[in-house]
Amino acid sequence: MNRTLRQIGLLIQKDLRIEARGRQTIGLVIVLGILIIVVLGMGLGAGRPVSGFGATSILWVTYLFGGVLCFEKTMAVERFDDALAGLLIAPIDRGVIYASKLITNLLLIIGLALVVTPVAMTLFRFDLSEHPLAFFIVMSLGVTGFTAVGTLFSAAVSSTRLQGGLLAMLVFPLSLPVVIMSTQLMRKVFEEGVPLTSTDVATLCAFDMIFLIVSWLVFELVLEP
Amino acid sequence: MNRKCLVYGFWSVTLALFVASVAMLFLYTPIEKTMGPVQKIFYLHLPIAINTFLACFVVFIASIGYLWQRKMWWDDLAFAAGKVAVLYCSVVLLTGMIWGKSAWGSWWTWSPRLTFSLVLWLLFVVYLMIRPSIDSPQRRAMISAVYGIVAFIDVPFVYLSVKLLPDIHPASIALAPAMKLTVLVWFLPITLLALGLLRAGYLLNRQIRTESQRNQNMVFESAPPASPTPMEELA
Repeated sequence: MNRTLRQIGLLIQKDLRIEARGRQTIGLVIVLGILIIVVLGMGLGAGRPVSGFGATSILWVTYLFGGVLCFEKTMAVERFDDALAGLLIAPIDRGVIYASKLITNLLLIIGLALVVTPVAMTLFRFDLSEHPLAFFIVMSLGVTGFTAVGTLFSAAVSSTRLQGGLLAMLVFPLSLPVVIMSTQLMRKVFEEGVPLTSTDVATLCAFDMIFLIVSWLVFELVLEP
Repeated sequence: MNRKCLVYGFWSVTLALFVASVAMLFLYTPIEKTMGPVQKIFYLHLPIAINTFLACFVVFIASIGYLWQRKMWWDDLAFAAGKVAVLYCSVVLLTGMIWGKSAWGSWWTWSPRLTFSLVLWLLFVVYLMIRPSIDSPQRRAMISAVYGIVAFIDVPFVYLSVKLLPDIHPASIALAPAMKLTVLVWFLPITLLALGLLRAGYLLNRQIRTESQRNQNMVFESAPPASPTPMEELA
């Protein structure tokens, strides 16, 4: 167990070190996120305050597009100089590679969220003060499910010729249930004033668990040098 | 010859059942009081919706079969079932929209079942769309199989998520005995058509694969022999 955790830690460290040296992915997704928010702000009417429910929808658009870019980039570094072949012949389980890529992607999306969410809150005057915890729980669980699916398919499509477009095509429809679920839960919480129930949280957790387990099981099959 | 007769027989029976079902729909089934003649679309809508799920299930089973055995015929079967699922789901969406226009005065409402059908349609349209983007047949089959499995597992979550939307769709419909019989009769031609389309699609996919393999072999055979290396010339 300790050995597995150490291997996961080392792989995450490797990915983050590459990211820290180049700072390509995080910079790119943050700028993209801000651009999306500005475009949506212009489209929805500048200066109008937006409810927490609207905030979730706007932030989801940012996280979805930024997330796909993160998944693509974290897998692309393995294609450079055949690094993936080296990773595959290393004495580590493929599940460890999946776990490390998943956590790296989650960290990058958290980095994106930490910058983009306050920017969106300022520009749209989001009012999350009524139920900040519900917002945090729903969005965290939602992003985890989305990242679980995205990490799996980023490995699958990284060797095909239509990487970016194809990855978005694969991940967006599969993530729709979690997007619909989180936006509807936010509608309930912010518009109807109904508190978040344990069943709601359990459903989102079930989604995450199933997709994490299925992705972990089939990751070995999709990973090819 | 026998197989050809069986195929003609199958399609003739399907066509005859379609004609009989249409005749039954207009001559035997009573007109519903509230909605009028538009309600008749329901007899087509329900069997097609159930067959859509069956086609999605075939995609799921064939995808597992491919990952388990790595035989290309599983991929051909999954692809054919994916096409049937998209075709049937499109009809479900269209008939649902016609029903909605008559019942609620709008072509589209974000009701759970309509949204569910739309997401299901999107999931399997993507399944068909991604395939031509992947050059290698093995890689294409593998990515499609993984997607087919994850998409099918996604279906219950789509159902759970859309249940949170406000609903105006009827939860259950009380049907007169004559109406129930018509629904049951409509299941026969719709299911036979799905099976026929699945078989035709599967055979077509097999044929395309055999042809492309034959072409590849011909390219290898017609290639000029490699010129001898200097070492071979000396020998």
